[in-house]
Amino acid sequence: MRAYAEFAVKKFRNQTAYRMDCFMGILKTIFSFIVYFSIYKALYGGRSDVDGITLNMVVTNFIISLGLSNAFDFNEMFLPDKISWGEISNELLKPVSFRLRLLSEHIGESIFKLVFNFVPSLIFAAFTIGMMPPSSAINMLLMAISAVMGYLILWELSFIVQTWSFWLFSVWGIIVMKNVLVNIMTGAMIPLWFMPSMLRGIISFTPFESVYFTPVRLYLGQISGSEIAVCMINQAVWIVVLFVIGDIFWKKGTKKLVVQGG
Amino acid sequence: MDELKVMAKALKMSFHARMQYKADSIVATLAVFFRESTGIIVIYLTLMKFDTLGDWNINELLFLYSILFLTYSAVVVLFADLRDFSRMIREGRFDRLMLTPRGLLIQLISNNADVIAAFGHGGLGVLLFIVSASRVGITWNFTTTIYYISAIIGGILIQGGMFVFFSSLSFYFVETNSLRDIFYWQMRRFAGYPISIFGKFFQTIMIYVVPFAFVNYFPAQYLLRKSDLAQYPELYIYVAPLVGVVLYTAAYLFWRISVKNYKSTGN
Amino acid sequence: MIEVKNISKVYKIAKKGKHGIFSREYEHRRAVDDISFSINEGEIVGFIGPNGAGKSTTIKMLSGILHPDIGSICVNGYIPYKQRKKYVANIGVVFGQKSQLNWDLPLIESFELIRYIYKIPKKKYEKNLAKFIDLLDMREFINQPVRQLSLGQKMRGDIVAALLHSPKIVFFDEPTIGLDVVAKEKIREFIKYLNRTENITMIFTTHDMQDIEKVCDRLIIIDKGHKIYDGTVSEIKRKYAARKIIEAEMADDSAADLAKFGNNVKITDISEHGKICKRFEFDSERCPVNEVMGSIFSQYDVNDISIKEPEIDGIIRDIYEGELQL
Repeated sequence: MRAYAEFAVKKFRNQTAYRMDCFMGILKTIFSFIVYFSIYKALYGGRSDVDGITLNMVVTNFIISLGLSNAFDFNEMFLPDKISWGEISNELLKPVSFRLRLLSEHIGESIFKLVFNFVPSLIFAAFTIGMMPPSSAINMLLMAISAVMGYLILWELSFIVQTWSFWLFSVWGIIVMKNVLVNIMTGAMIPLWFMPSMLRGIISFTPFESVYFTPVRLYLGQISGSEIAVCMINQAVWIVVLFVIGDIFWKKGTKKLVVQGG
Repeated sequence: MDELKVMAKALKMSFHARMQYKADSIVATLAVFFRESTGIIVIYLTLMKFDTLGDWNINELLFLYSILFLTYSAVVVLFADLRDFSRMIREGRFDRLMLTPRGLLIQLISNNADVIAAFGHGGLGVLLFIVSASRVGITWNFTTTIYYISAIIGGILIQGGMFVFFSSLSFYFVETNSLRDIFYWQMRRFAGYPISIFGKFFQTIMIYVVPFAFVNYFPAQYLLRKSDLAQYPELYIYVAPLVGVVLYTAAYLFWRISVKNYKSTGN
Repeated sequence: MIEVKNISKVYKIAKKGKHGIFSREYEHRRAVDDISFSINEGEIVGFIGPNGAGKSTTIKMLSGILHPDIGSICVNGYIPYKQRKKYVANIGVVFGQKSQLNWDLPLIESFELIRYIYKIPKKKYEKNLAKFIDLLDMREFINQPVRQLSLGQKMRGDIVAALLHSPKIVFFDEPTIGLDVVAKEKIREFIKYLNRTENITMIFTTHDMQDIEKVCDRLIIIDKGHKIYDGTVSEIKRKYAARKIIEAEMADDSAADLAKFGNNVKITDISEHGKICKRFEFDSERCPVNEVMGSIFSQYDVNDISIKEPEIDGIIRDIYEGELQL
């Protein structure tokens, strides 16, 4: 375990070297807040709420989901490149789990971006475009736990697609298309409240809803009582299901590598 | 004329080179197409709920967006090397251009084309144009057609000019990508929407600093005349095609001065 | 043909790690420091020096990529960095490490593009191409994508690409780097042949002394931005013929010394595989060979001994390492 913590810490430290990138990253996040804030301000056109959803709730949704999605963003071509350049075999020989190492490094990077991208952008947004406070301290805590689970779902989705490069010439296109789905279906670009009901129905059967929308609803206090447990168990189930799928692909892929000699 | 011959030959080569990996190229083109569609799908779904954004309905918004894609599709055919210019300098490939008896900028423009992006963006642009152009009440006659074509060319020149400008900065600074990220790529996200929905600060930037407003908003407004046009001098819709010429010329002059500052990489 | 007078070039280098968001600290490094030489039409000149000596910078100034900070360059009547377009139409440049060929397409496609770019008349292009294909045995692979070619085939392609427009001067920057012996030999022969038949002036940088010995008449050595030698290859060998090396295998490892020669004889231990061997290097004009030999025999229990003539490699290495003063 120590080793994996080291990987995370190292990655975190690495990030501090790119100060200009960090500064620009904050601007980028703030800009995306402003774009969506402006769009929804125009869409609301002065109305106090639409279907019981206020502009402030929409803004809060965007700040949390876009902010997290920027913080969780990472180089998804790292593993595919290692595989297609044949460097993966060396990694597998090392006495650490390569998969866990990838995850720990990414966690280190994400924590860095949460602290130095999400938090500053959030503070800026709270003062300028109006973000709602959490409905209670408990809700804030639940949101944080739920966001971590959302992160794991997102990571596993990405991992599954990345492992396909054991079989495919290039997975770049597939990763891009996966991200199209993620961006639309998680509510990062359109709040799920406003999704056409049929699409919303479909999304509720996918892991996408659990990524950002569950944390957002917990934060806003839109979920209460036993429903909280249902939503969070739903997240946990997705984590397990996706882990199993990813595990199958990873084991088959690495086995293929061993058989064919990479 | 002779430059055009080189350009045609180089374009053919870029295309042939890409076609060596047919399956991968098709997947990549589709990927670009879908990636760029994300914004469109989001607007479409959003407007299913809200009907209009300001005064703009979905077809008008798609028309506005289509200009952005159509112009960019030509931009990556012409200015692909300038888009990736800092990498070119870093890898020392610019040296080779200096050893060739042709103008430097014309070589950058004619040598390489990003075929994948051209088809991905272009396909989406054409699709959006076909879907929207007949439904937004534009009467296509001689004047509007000529205006539309010159506005597209102007939009290509505006974005090309920006790439030339940012590339020129590479002769002074090591790292220019983050600056361009903010001023080109981020501003381009704003440009998909009518600029009137943004605050004064961003409107000013979009009109006077990184003039994306003249790439699609004002040209679209010449044809659509939505009510929010009243906020801006009407002159802007008439000069929109000219802004590109002026901006590109200015960028070109800046390039001429900057290129003298070129220092090849160490070894 | 080429006239270089007192050129200098200073690089401003950002110090690693020491920079804030908007500012950096710089240090200045004089990559080329007051170098002059002239080269006549038809000469082949080898340019050598350790990495970072200023070879590439000099070549870049000669080919018009860089301006010298001080000094002047005149090549074939042109000032390279001022009349770039006219000048480069008459030169060819081959970078051993940077190909100008399109990776995914057949060689012939890249050549075709060059024909357009240099506005080479069709007849001349076809004549040149046929000649080079013949000389370099390129017929079998001219229609293969470049990515499938061997390093040597690619290099031949790059050389032809630089020659199609019949340049009067050609710069070769490490054209044999990474190639096997056969491929190197082929390229050397081709370069020599071209120089002989077409009277093309050539400048050649390399780390391979075989290239120099086999191809060049004249040698310019650069180190730390300074020109430290300019003369024929044979002269440098003759000049250092006085330098002798004796290698001896000893029966035991007795720590004897040749104190009477002082620092004039340099002794290195080259023992290997359990054999005790020593190398004695000295200038035979200062320490006659027979005297050194005598001393070695009297001081050591010698099993075997041999005298070696200096090779160009060794001489150059010693020059770089500062052991030989020119």
